[in-house]
Amino acid sequence: MATKKRKKIIWLSVILAVVLVAAIIATVFIVLGSRQTRLPSGNYVHTASKPAVKGRVEARDGYVKVAESDSYVLYYYEPQFSIKLENKTTGAIIESTLSEEKDDGRSNDVWLGYMKSGIVINAIRGTTNTYQVDVNTVETEIATWYTDKGIYAQIDFKGNYQFGLGVEVSLEDDDLVVRIPDESIYEKKEQTYISSISVFPFMGYTHLGDEAGYMLVPDGNGALIYLDDKEGRYANGFTGLVYGVDDGITTTGSVPTLWEKFETVVDANSVLAPIFGMAHTDDDQAYLAIVESGDERVYIEVQPNGANNINYNRCFARFLLRDVFKQPLSKGSSGVVDAVEADRLHSDLQVRYCLLSGDDASYSGMARTYRQYLLDNGLVSRQNLTYNTRVDVLGTEREEFLMGTTAVEMTSVDQLEDIYAALRREGVANVLTVYRGWQKGGLYNLPITKYKADSGIGDTRALTKLILNEAEQGNTIYLYNDALTVNATTNSSTYNVMKMVSKRTYEKKVNGQVYKTFYYLMPDKAGINMSELAKQMADKGVKNMALAGVTSELFSFSYKGNYYARTHTMDVLRDAMVEIDDDMNLILETPNMYMWKYADAMIDMPLGSSDYLYIDQEIPFLSMVLKGVVPMYSDYVNFEANKTENFLEMVESGIYPSFYVTAEDSSKLIYTNSSNLYSLEFDSYRATIAQYDRELKALSEKVGTSCITDHEILSNGLVKVTYENGVVIYVNYTEMALTADGVTVDALSYKVGE
Amino acid sequence: MRKLKRAAALALMLVLVTTMVFSFTALADTPYVTYTINGYGQIRQTQTAYLAHATITKFGEESLSSPSDICLAPDGLIYVADSGKNSESGQARIVVGNTDGELVRIVGEGTLVNPRGVFVTDNGDIYVADRDAEKIFIFNSQGRLINEYGKPNSPLYGDGIKFQPIKLVVNAAGIMFIVCESNTNGIVEISPTEGGTFLGYFGTNYASTDLMTIIYRAILTDAQRAKMVSNIPATPTNLAIDGKGLIYTVTRGNENDTLKRLNIAGTNMIHNTDGTYASTPVAVVAGNHDNVYVADQQGYIFEYNNEGEMLFTFGGPNDGSQRVGLSTMVSGIAIDKNDWIYVLDSDRAQVQIYEPTEFTDLLHEALYLYSKGRYTEAKEPLSQVLRMNSMFDYANKAMGRSYFQEENFRQALKYARLAKDYDGYSDAYWELRNVWLKNNIMTAIILCVLLFVAYKVVKALDRRAHILNKPRKVLRKLKKNKFISNFTYAGYYMKKPADGAYGIAAEGRANWLVSSFILLIFIVEYVVDKYTRGFLLKNVMEGRYDILSDVGMVLAVMFALTACTYLVCTINEGEGTVKKIYTFFCYSLMPYILLTPIAYALSHILTLNELFLSQIIQIVTYGWIAVLAVVGLKEVNNFTAKETVKVILLTAFTALILALLIFIIYVLWAQVFDFISAIVGEGVYRLGY
Repeated sequence: MATKKRKKIIWLSVILAVVLVAAIIATVFIVLGSRQTRLPSGNYVHTASKPAVKGRVEARDGYVKVAESDSYVLYYYEPQFSIKLENKTTGAIIESTLSEEKDDGRSNDVWLGYMKSGIVINAIRGTTNTYQVDVNTVETEIATWYTDKGIYAQIDFKGNYQFGLGVEVSLEDDDLVVRIPDESIYEKKEQTYISSISVFPFMGYTHLGDEAGYMLVPDGNGALIYLDDKEGRYANGFTGLVYGVDDGITTTGSVPTLWEKFETVVDANSVLAPIFGMAHTDDDQAYLAIVESGDERVYIEVQPNGANNINYNRCFARFLLRDVFKQPLSKGSSGVVDAVEADRLHSDLQVRYCLLSGDDASYSGMARTYRQYLLDNGLVSRQNLTYNTRVDVLGTEREEFLMGTTAVEMTSVDQLEDIYAALRREGVANVLTVYRGWQKGGLYNLPITKYKADSGIGDTRALTKLILNEAEQGNTIYLYNDALTVNATTNSSTYNVMKMVSKRTYEKKVNGQVYKTFYYLMPDKAGINMSELAKQMADKGVKNMALAGVTSELFSFSYKGNYYARTHTMDVLRDAMVEIDDDMNLILETPNMYMWKYADAMIDMPLGSSDYLYIDQEIPFLSMVLKGVVPMYSDYVNFEANKTENFLEMVESGIYPSFYVTAEDSSKLIYTNSSNLYSLEFDSYRATIAQYDRELKALSEKVGTSCITDHEILSNGLVKVTYENGVVIYVNYTEMALTADGVTVDALSYKVGE
Repeated sequence: MRKLKRAAALALMLVLVTTMVFSFTALADTPYVTYTINGYGQIRQTQTAYLAHATITKFGEESLSSPSDICLAPDGLIYVADSGKNSESGQARIVVGNTDGELVRIVGEGTLVNPRGVFVTDNGDIYVADRDAEKIFIFNSQGRLINEYGKPNSPLYGDGIKFQPIKLVVNAAGIMFIVCESNTNGIVEISPTEGGTFLGYFGTNYASTDLMTIIYRAILTDAQRAKMVSNIPATPTNLAIDGKGLIYTVTRGNENDTLKRLNIAGTNMIHNTDGTYASTPVAVVAGNHDNVYVADQQGYIFEYNNEGEMLFTFGGPNDGSQRVGLSTMVSGIAIDKNDWIYVLDSDRAQVQIYEPTEFTDLLHEALYLYSKGRYTEAKEPLSQVLRMNSMFDYANKAMGRSYFQEENFRQALKYARLAKDYDGYSDAYWELRNVWLKNNIMTAIILCVLLFVAYKVVKALDRRAHILNKPRKVLRKLKKNKFISNFTYAGYYMKKPADGAYGIAAEGRANWLVSSFILLIFIVEYVVDKYTRGFLLKNVMEGRYDILSDVGMVLAVMFALTACTYLVCTINEGEGTVKKIYTFFCYSLMPYILLTPIAYALSHILTLNELFLSQIIQIVTYGWIAVLAVVGLKEVNNFTAKETVKVILLTAFTALILALLIFIIYVLWAQVFDFISAIVGEGVYRLGY
């Protein structure tokens, strides 16, 4: 008995000792760990120093000419920090602030201060970010010097604010470049910060419907707001954060649900490219504005007259330097206080206004200009433009079973082979496939860290064999990899997961049957996963990867108490792409602009817009920019209710069609997270795929690798798309036959002319 | 200069014209999701049924202000009951405009006080329900006041009840059906004869009285009762009339009677229990294909077929993003002959127009053809609908019914099964069975006769030549086998449970192997029956198997039952051992083993009308099992009747406790697991990986 007791004591003390040692080690690690320096970010340059200045500019009493190029003259008026551009040939004027002549006298003093200021700042005092700071209503000192191509102004806001910045305005041939160097921005007063900076918020403004024209909205594929009198119909206009909502800051509120269960609102498109534009069609003068630096955190605002109760049409860039966020106090969501971000954005803020006149003063001109800009700056490169019909397949999903989950097998490797065989019989030779849910554990077993196929689709070797074999037959299979998302259920630890600026783990809640919560990976870890997977795939000779998540999400986050801006995330993700881009063929899902250059093709590109009330016309702007450069694939045709119009949109925009199919019946999915996919069976789509393939392939062969040079909506409603090689496509969306240029196009149809 | 200006004006006009004409080519990612319901009653996403097409914010220069009702006249004009606060005179009115947003005329300015409902008859007469004037005004198509009706003076109307009309419809005979605010008696029916004759109340809602209310009423004092939420029937919120003169009403909070279609007698002909009704319905309108639309105040639009089954729901409240097709506060709905839907948003003071998509057009075409009896033609659009969404069960159902009408019963059966259309399935099956019977009745009779003859012959031969002696011997030998003898004993137990149980208790008839074998047969039958029984009786989804948990469930129940009974019996001085208790429980399953195959076979050949046969067998089975189990329990433990009852109650209680215990352990374990994973997670995070 006594020995037993002694044994017990010995055991207990051993366990105690082990625990103690572990605790000590842990403490040491924690202490050392917290001393770790900041995470490294890439070698991207976001800042440049202030420009060299010459003599002072004297422009206190009126506009003074400060620079001149071959076609434009730049004038400057210091007290309002205002500029004016004059087209030397046509005499057309672009104003940057409200002039006395155009003031309709209906705005209050605060708004007048705003309208007559070239720079408007939104300031934070304490945790309130609703203070408007402009050069008229706040005590301001402005000093201006000449530079090589324009001016540099130092603007200091006094009084309650005590912050300031320097603005460089240069006229470079036909471009006006406005830059706020990061090093020039200062905040001196405690608890007083710059929240956002609006750069020339009245650039090219018009009053009500006084001048004809339109503004370019970077929503979806592209949209226009006409410069007509809106009669006060819209309380707000377009405000879109470039590259989408910042999930590291924004906590989404409740969304409308039907019967408190079914979500009914579809998310709006996010802004893929940092551009906006304004065209005055009366005097053939337009500009396309490109945010060249600071684009990772800028709002594009396009406001029609009537918005905010002011009668002017305007569009501008508003850089967000520092945001106010909700800091939860407890684990539940009960206690929340407002808090200010610990640091501001550290990038130069730069907008390039490409001035367009004559034939270029249209959205077609804007598209041509933007395409040339992207190519010149290496932001996109020309890719292989061979036509493919995209037919994606779903491998396996999971549904709940007993205490865990079980596989729901939808399309195995063998079945995919059969699908290809069937398509070949229908005459569909080249298919691009994104294989979703190929990985072990099914579609939502995320992240994917190994090249290992789910047993439900066959083994890894079978998958490899299929990909290599089909490549010889002309079918390209890409393996789908959402490299950013972590499934909270299958990977339960807080391991490497993105924490919001509020230091709380970011959770993406979905209304799924099996999995309800997802996390995001920290960008560096996402990069490591991507390259590890790429390496394993490349070892087996598999080089095709379809990337999602990292291509379209951009967030600020916190790690070990440090704040990291979207700049960091963007750089790290770009580095990750660079690392795998050489070895891999990458196609990217709805990529943001900074990802475009790594894309061999883009998938799930929007065809339309988000249906905002104030949109007057949808235009395929991104298509006009990228057609003939990078192949683009649409969202799935399966779920379209208006097949004919959807098809015509693809004809119009040159976007290739996409289908999502499974070998098994989609009713098998109703207990999985993919339960909203209601129509997938390959057999229902076989004929449609063949038909789309036939027609769009023929069209694509005519167009070849050329770009869209012109897009017009003719007066009778016919849409006319002109390609570089002279091919013209007429698209008729109406329900009657239409004629233009001697070509008659049947109702709901299209025709190719030369 | 002037020329330039004119050119500019022209260009501007061109721009404006293109905006107007081509706003409908604007095809986009619709801002809302469309749902439908499948045959199992599950809500499923489907293709966009209606696209937000255009928004009318102004008729000419006249903008609306808190408009309360909309009516689309047969001539295609839109009539809106408007408070007029935004107009020059500031007076209430009816705004008449066309679908392009042009103003046609203003009606009733100066006469109307607070128009809340408007209805236009086929000949263009405009009926207006004015709540605050407490009158119905009738204008002719040119806007001249031609008649008005006040509160009916019939004593049947009710003396103390005000006449505050808010919505109305008028049938072909000119009879008005009026919804009045705070009049819970029902819809007021007034005939135009003799300056307005009150015909009575129509389509009254009834207050539901549940058991709790009755109990409360019985025990509460008057004062307490007065404090209870009043149990007054809800007034209909709105109403509509279709081409056949049938009246539709919507009532908020009326659960399965939220939408009613009332015939001339006021009887509801829609019985939908899917729970697919709007929670805050405000308006209803009859469609062109025997369908009906209901608008929810929040902005959801529901479309139902003539049986009240939901086809689509779409739209919804605005999430703040200002996108076309999302609403703030809906107050009216109308529909034109092309199935375009006009939704009146009183908060935004606008009319939102939705246009049906190809998908919906196909479905409507099929509905139309079907309702006209052109079943063969209806199949083409239906198959296109199914090609777009093979899980759209309503199309499967209609397809099945069409085939049925064509007397292609095999196809009808297939589609009915896909659609989970039990009635259709049963009908098609009846026909098929009929055909089969007709074709095979002779063969069957001959077969019976032959069998009978064969039986007689064998019997006769046996009597003479004893040809059956050998098999008999084998049988006798087999019966001596312990296993088989025990198995047949289970049959004996089934017939004479008291004797049989005594055998288990005292004569060594308890046997693990045989009992488990019976249990095994039970499980096999249970699973086979559950998943493959006739479609009409099947209550698991097609193509879904969860056999492992079924087996686990049976085993767990058996284990728990045996364990609990044993525990309870032992402390009650029962004589049963675990083995005996297990044996009699398993033996008690014999009726199931014998009868289920019969029920199973029947389920495959019966139609809905005859299903009761199968149900009777089920009742007999379970009753029999219960008797066997109780008698077995009594005899095996040698209990008196009183003791048996006590033990049964105790066992039930123990089982409950056991379930609770398992639940608690499960929860605690989950907590421990969470705790450990949180610690590990925190550690990993701190260490910085």
